[in-house]
Amino acid sequence: MANTQAAMTMQPATELSGRAWLEILVGLFAGGLGGALQSVLARTSLSHSILYGLFFGLAFAIFFAKRATSPGAGLIWGLAFAFLVWIVIPAGAALVFSRSMGSQRMLIDAREHFPQLVAFLICFGMPVGVSLGIWGALHPKVAQVKFNWGRAIIAGGFAGTIGGLIFSGWVASGNYFPLLAGYGELHVSRAAIIILHFSFAVMIGVTFGILFQRDVRGYGSCMGWGLAYGIFWWFLGQLTLLPIVAHQPIDWSADRGAAIFGSLVGHILHGLILGVVYAALDRFWVRLFIQSDPLNREVEGSGVHFLRSMGWGAAAGIAGGIISSPVLFATGILPRVAGLGLRGFALHLVVSALIGVTYGLLFRNEAASLGHGVAWGWLFGLIWWYAGPLTLQPLFLTGECDWSTAAASALLPSMMGHLIYGAVTALTFLLLERRFTRWLLLDPRIAAREARKIRPVGTPAPALWLLALGLGVLLPVLLG
Amino acid sequence: MNRIFRRTLLGMLAGALASTALVITVGQPLLSIVLGILVGAGYSASLKPTRETYVDNVMAGGALGVPLWGLISVIAVPVFSSRMPEWDAEQMRLHFPALVGWVIYGAALGLLTQTFSDLASRFLGPESEPELAIPQIETRIVILGGGFAGMRTAECLEAELRANPEVSLTLVSETNALLFTPMLAEVAGSSLEPSHISTPLRSTLHRTEFVRGRVTGIDLEGRRVLLASGPAGGDGMSAGEIAYDHLVFALGAVSNYLGMANLEKYSFNFKSLLDAIRIRNHVIEMFERADRELDPATRKALLTFVIAGGGFAGVELAGALNDYAHGILADYPKLRRDEVSVMLVHSRDHILPELSESLGRYAQERMAARGVVFRLNTRISDARAGVVILSDGEIRAETLVWTAGTAPNPLLKALSLDKDKRGALVVDDTLAVPGRAGIWALGDCAAVIDGKTKKPCPPTAQFALREAQTLAKNIRKQLAGEALQRFHFDSLGALCVVGHQTACAELTVPFARTYSLRFSGLLAWLMWRGIYLGKLPGLERKIRVLVDWTVELFFPRDIVQTIELK
Repeated sequence: MANTQAAMTMQPATELSGRAWLEILVGLFAGGLGGALQSVLARTSLSHSILYGLFFGLAFAIFFAKRATSPGAGLIWGLAFAFLVWIVIPAGAALVFSRSMGSQRMLIDAREHFPQLVAFLICFGMPVGVSLGIWGALHPKVAQVKFNWGRAIIAGGFAGTIGGLIFSGWVASGNYFPLLAGYGELHVSRAAIIILHFSFAVMIGVTFGILFQRDVRGYGSCMGWGLAYGIFWWFLGQLTLLPIVAHQPIDWSADRGAAIFGSLVGHILHGLILGVVYAALDRFWVRLFIQSDPLNREVEGSGVHFLRSMGWGAAAGIAGGIISSPVLFATGILPRVAGLGLRGFALHLVVSALIGVTYGLLFRNEAASLGHGVAWGWLFGLIWWYAGPLTLQPLFLTGECDWSTAAASALLPSMMGHLIYGAVTALTFLLLERRFTRWLLLDPRIAAREARKIRPVGTPAPALWLLALGLGVLLPVLLG
Repeated sequence: MNRIFRRTLLGMLAGALASTALVITVGQPLLSIVLGILVGAGYSASLKPTRETYVDNVMAGGALGVPLWGLISVIAVPVFSSRMPEWDAEQMRLHFPALVGWVIYGAALGLLTQTFSDLASRFLGPESEPELAIPQIETRIVILGGGFAGMRTAECLEAELRANPEVSLTLVSETNALLFTPMLAEVAGSSLEPSHISTPLRSTLHRTEFVRGRVTGIDLEGRRVLLASGPAGGDGMSAGEIAYDHLVFALGAVSNYLGMANLEKYSFNFKSLLDAIRIRNHVIEMFERADRELDPATRKALLTFVIAGGGFAGVELAGALNDYAHGILADYPKLRRDEVSVMLVHSRDHILPELSESLGRYAQERMAARGVVFRLNTRISDARAGVVILSDGEIRAETLVWTAGTAPNPLLKALSLDKDKRGALVVDDTLAVPGRAGIWALGDCAAVIDGKTKKPCPPTAQFALREAQTLAKNIRKQLAGEALQRFHFDSLGALCVVGHQTACAELTVPFARTYSLRFSGLLAWLMWRGIYLGKLPGLERKIRVLVDWTVELFFPRDIVQTIELK
C-alpha cells in the first residue's frame, strides 16, 4: 500500500490533471442526467434541473472524486453531500429569508422543501456518487482490497432474506409489508405479496453486499451502513420506484412521507438486521477462509478480545445508563420501562449494561480516536432508539409495533437520552480499552494490530455519520 | 507547542468563525459564539489532524451538529435558563431552525479546523508527535517457576503494575506452559489430549517477559539468577544470567523418593505432562506385550499396575488407569479381565487423608467395586525390575507409579535461606523471606503461615493461587512504600474423581468455614467437572476439553501409541 501511494506521488502532474478533468466530465455528465431525471420525476423545469445537476456534479467531482473509490463509497458520499447541500441551500436559505416569521413558519418552509431533499438524494447524490464510484473503482489510485463477488452476493442475499424473514414475522400478522408500502393497494394474492416482499429484501441485501463489501469492517459499522442504506431505499423504493411500477404519480411531498413513515422505520430496521446479519456472515467468511490461515494469525485470539470487549461494554453501558438516566427519567421513558424507585433504577442499569455489552461486541474495532468513538456512539444511540422504544418495547409490552408518526413524535424526547447513552458508552468503552492497551502498545506486534484496526482516512465513515444521524433525526422531526 | 494546546487554539478560532451559522439560526449572539468556541475546541482537540481531509471533516462536523442540537438547543440552553428541557415533539420541531444551524455550524467547523490545521502545519511545522515512552526500567521483578503460583503471581503483578512502566516482569520456567494438574490423571487415562490441559505462558502473559530455562543457581548477594545456558546478550551480562530487584520463588515441588534410589530408577514419576504421556504409552505397551505373552505369570505382571500413594494424585490416577485398562480390554480379545490389576498401595488405613474419613471410605468402596485393589497400611520399601517390594511381601508388576511424597525443589537446598524440616523456604505472613529484602516465596516451595490462624498452609494449588494475589499486592505496596498485607485464606474444600462419573467433594460452607458439605457420586463428579473446567485457564482450552469429554461419551478411548518408550 505504501509503495503504491509513493508511486502515485511520482505520477506526472499532467496525468493527474488529465484524470481530474475526466472525473469532472463524469460528474457533469451524471449530474446533467440526474437533473433531467429530476425534471421528469418532479416535473420541474428541464433547464433549471440540468443546471442544478451540473453544478452538483461539478462540485462533487472536484471535492469528493478522490473519496469515491467504489460504487458503494461513492453512493454514501454522494447522498451525504446531497443532504448537506439541501441543509445549506433550500433549508438554510429559507431560514435566513423567513427568520422574522418565526420558527413555525420556518418548519413549514422546510416541509415544503422536502421534495427537493428527495430529488437531491435520488437524482443528484445517487447517480453522481455511483458514477464517480464506478469510475474510481475502474481507475483505482491506490491498491484496493480484493473484491469477492461470491462473498458479496451470497452473504448479502442471505442477510437480506433473513432480514426480510425476521421482519415479515413482525408485520405479516397485520398484513402490512413496509418494504412494499409505497406501492399502495396491492391487488394480488397474499403469496404473491410475500414473494414480492422477499424479492425486494433479497435485492436490497445483494446490492448491500456488492456496494459495501470493502467499506464495512465490523458489526457496528455494518449496522450503520445498514441504517443509512435502509433510509436510502425508503427514498428510492417507497417514494420513487414503487409508485412508478404501480403507475401512480410520484409524490415527494412531506405529507406523503408522513403517510408512509411506518415504512421508513421498517426500512431502517430491515437495514439494521441486514447489516448485522451481513456482518456476521461476512466475518464468518473471513474467519473461515482468511483468518484461519496460520499466516494471518494475530497475537491474541479473537475469543479473548471478544470476552474482554463484553466486560468493557458492560462497564461502559452502566456509565452510559447512569449519565443518561436523568434525561430518560424526565422524559418518562425510564419509569415506563423499568418502574420507579431503586428497583427500577437497578433494572435500568442492568438493561444499560446488557446494551453496553452489545456495543462492546458490535463496535469494538471501529473507533480509533475519542472523536470517532463518540460519533459511532451517537449512531449506536440512534440505532437503539429505532430498535428499542420504537420497536422492541411496544412489541414486548403489547405484542405490536407502532411505527406511526404519532408514536415517533411521542418518543422523540427519549431520543436525546439514547444519544447521550450512546456517546457516554462509546467514550467509556474507548477509555477502558485504551487503559488496557496502553502498556501493550509497546509490543510492536500489538501496536501493529491496533494500527490495523484504525479505519484509514478516506473511507465513507464521516459521510455515513452525517447521512445516518442527519436523516435519522431529521425525518421524525420533519415528518411528524 | 503542546499538540493538544495547539489543536485547542485552532479549534477555538474555527469555532468562533463557524458560530456565525449559530448566530443567524439560533440568535443570542454571545451565547452562540461562546458555544461555538467551546465546541470547536473540543472537536479539534479530540481528533488527530490528517492533512487535506477537508471533505471528511466537513461531514464529520456536520454529523456532530445533529446531536449537539439536541444536547444544547433542546436540553442545555432551556435548563440553564431555568426552564424545563424543550424536548416535547412540538417544542423540538420549533427548534428545527437550530438543527439546520448546528449542522451548518458543524460542517463549517470541520472545514475551518482542517484549513487552520493545514495552515499551521505549513507555517509552524507539523504537530510534535508524542514520543513513545520507552520506559526506564527501575525495578526488575523475576519470578522463578511457571506453575500455578508463578503464573498467577505474574498475572496479578501485571494487573497491579499495569500503569507502571518502570517495573519489568520476567518469568523463568523449565516448561513453556502451565500444566493444569487436576486433569493430569485424565491424560494418563487417555480421556484428554495432553496439550489441551496446558496453557502456553507466552500467550497468557501480556507484559511479562518469558524465559524458558533451567535455573542452576542464585547469587543472592549479586542479585542474579543463573540459568543453565543461553546466547550472549547485551548489558555486559550473558543471557544465562538475569538480574533482579525482587525475586519470587514459585518453584513448586518434586517427587520425594525418601532416599530409595531403586524407586527413582524403576518407577514412573507423575508430576509433568511428559510423565502422564509416558504412563499412558507404557500402559498400551504393556497390553501389546501381554497380548503375545504365553506365560500367564508374566502376563499377569505385565497387566499389574501399582500406584504408590493414596492422596489425591494417586487415587485419581488409579481410578483413571483402572477405567482405561479395563476399557481397552475390548481391543485385546486374548486378555482376560481378571488378569488386569490396578493396585493402590497406601501407608494408612484409609485413602484420601485430605478429606473426611467417611468420604475416603466411600471412595475406597467405589473404586474397589470397579476393580481397584487396595493394599492399605502397607509401604513400598524397594523395587527391582519387574518387582515391587512391599513392607509385607513382594508382587510382580512391570508398572510402578510414585505419588507417595513430594519435596520442595532441590535448588533451594543450596541457598543460604532459612528452611523448614521439609526443605521449604520460611516466609513471614506477608510471604516475604525474613531478613532478605526483595526475596519472596509462595506455593509448594514455601512454608507459608496463615496470617490470621497462624497455622501452616497446605501446599495445594488452591492456596498457591491466593498466595500469588497477596504476594503481587505486597510487591506493589512495597514499591509504593505502603504497609504490607498479611496472607489469610480459608480453604474452599476439595474434590477428587475416583472413577467413571464418580467423585467425592467436601466443600466448606461460606461464612462458616469450620463446617463443610460432603458430596459423592454423580453429583460430585458433575461438580468436579464444572468447577475445574471453569478454573482451566483459557476459553480455547475449555472448549477443547469439553469436546474431548463429549467425544469420550460416544467413542472408545484411543490406544494409539504416541511416543516410543525406551
